[in-house]
Amino acid sequence: MATQIVENVLEEAKRHDAKKVAEVHLVIGKMTFLGVDQVRFSYGILVKDTIMEDSKLIIKEQDGVIECPSCGFKGAVPIEDDPAYHVPVPSLRCPKCGEAAKIVEGKECTIESIRILKQQEDKNDCKRCC
Amino acid sequence: MTNTKEVVKGEEVTLTIEPGMNILEVNRQLAEKNRELLRKHKVKAIDIMGSIGAGKTSLIEQLVQKLKPKYRIAVFKGDLTTTIDAEHIGRHGVQVLTINTGRECHLDANVVSRAVERISLQDIDLLIIENVGNLICPAEFPLGTDKRVVVVSVTEGPYMILKHPFTFMTADVMVINKKDLAEIMKIDTDQLERQAKDVKPELKVAVTNALTGDGVEELIKALEL
Repeated sequence: MATQIVENVLEEAKRHDAKKVAEVHLVIGKMTFLGVDQVRFSYGILVKDTIMEDSKLIIKEQDGVIECPSCGFKGAVPIEDDPAYHVPVPSLRCPKCGEAAKIVEGKECTIESIRILKQQEDKNDCKRCC
Repeated sequence: MTNTKEVVKGEEVTLTIEPGMNILEVNRQLAEKNRELLRKHKVKAIDIMGSIGAGKTSLIEQLVQKLKPKYRIAVFKGDLTTTIDAEHIGRHGVQVLTINTGRECHLDANVVSRAVERISLQDIDLLIIENVGNLICPAEFPLGTDKRVVVVSVTEGPYMILKHPFTFMTADVMVINKKDLAEIMKIDTDQLERQAKDVKPELKVAVTNALTGDGVEELIKALEL
């Protein structure tokens, strides 16, 4: 995943003749299997010796949101905190009507924006006429 | 690229690009394409996820034996490097294609679409895809099948659902395998079923012994095959 993130950013940066990539803004959903720490770790390794080296990786985590097709409820993913489970477990059961709900947010791994640095073209630098 | 904002400062131009690129969405879109292609050829497809040793291959052998009279079957077998399981399944006289992922811990919609190109969809009605043995990563990558199955076995302990709830959220059917060992392992399969349904209420459950075939009919029913 981190490889794909870096490849996509490099491609976009190249398309815009970037000299350097300064910032990468990423959104990672909490309903994905991606760990923020691991993404950061891999990112650090992958950007070495590229124009992304020293870039700042800003990760926003998106909470899970479910929507219930039966009653129309839309809200945070309910957490089953049954003491028998020892751990809080996320659930797709609609907290309002008990029917099966669908995940509508929290499955993202999106490169929201990147900030690149570009050498400014020198308009006076015309070698043909001056 | 959807939007760019340019700020000139001294010698440097800062360009904010908003590609809004969802990396996971790329796989999901490819999965949709696979689904459309399979539907066009009236091929039903299921994929099977689960840990190493959960019994995925044995279950597929059982499914193949029982469904062979009704469907023309092909099996894709995801495996890091070997063809051991493919040989097992191949003994039942169905077409088996091994997808060696090399290093990858999961199949994705892209490798499946390339495998689909290598078989003749006109000659099959059912495609069974066995994912790489892993209870986590495959769940992130839908392949474009009609039904996703997750196999857990009682020898994996009582907590696999509580530890991996997201995996079970992505599945349509859960198999609890090695039911004959439940008592020895002190596992209450009813409790596992309840936990899974707490995570995903519409999940269908089959409790099986893939070596004897016990419970496989239940699984076939859950898969609507």
